[in-house]
Amino acid sequence: MADTDTLTQTREEVATASPWNVLVHDDPVNLMGYVTFVLMKIFGYDEKKATILMMQVHKAGRSVVWSGEKEKAEFYVQQLQAHQLKSSLEKAE
Amino acid sequence: MKVAPTLEGGLRIDAEDLGDWEILHAILHDARRGDADLAGNLGALISEEAGAEDWRDFVVPDLREEFGDQISKVARDIEGAMEQSGGEAGSIWISKADGFIWYGALNQARLAIEDLHHFGPSEDVSMEDLHPARRSAFFRSQFYLAIQSMLLDHVMR
Repeated sequence: MADTDTLTQTREEVATASPWNVLVHDDPVNLMGYVTFVLMKIFGYDEKKATILMMQVHKAGRSVVWSGEKEKAEFYVQQLQAHQLKSSLEKAE
Repeated sequence: MKVAPTLEGGLRIDAEDLGDWEILHAILHDARRGDADLAGNLGALISEEAGAEDWRDFVVPDLREEFGDQISKVARDIEGAMEQSGGEAGSIWISKADGFIWYGALNQARLAIEDLHHFGPSEDVSMEDLHPARRSAFFRSQFYLAIQSMLLDHVMR
């Protein structure tokens, strides 16, 4: 009976989930100061960063305000919508 | 009607007569407009790829309930204060803790007006061309906006 050797190979794979963007869309009702206030409250941004993002929303019609894992992005969009801001999430390119 | 910040960090709305109470009641009328579904409209922004079906099933009902609660609370505040004053001069006291609820209800009223009339940015609205009903809606929206600005500057920040 021949001896047999078993060769075990371990291959490591790290799956990196694609990030998701959280978007805020412009609307004619929400006050600019309110949008800034909500971005500071939900994401903990300082006033300067929140104001820059708010101005992007105002001028470009939308802004990516956060990127990261999907579960967290969903949570943030839910928070933004609870504050009545038009918001959505999309896969980052 | 007068609106002023309180020493406790809230806001006080003084109604002077029945006309003022009617204006305040209009907040509820506008916010409750039957065909305005804010939660549903927000939910429609979620793509199928992002999980629209789950959003419709789990998030939208919660948001709808939350938005409804905001209007119910403001209705209790307005109707309670009006009843206490007997339709004469009286005040509504908005505590700091209730600032966001009031802001949200006023926002719903303004969103419903915008949904119906499509005014866009207020600086682009010309009074001369407006039908009386649209003019009245525009002024109501501007009045709600003024209260919202005071809430944001004096109560919520």
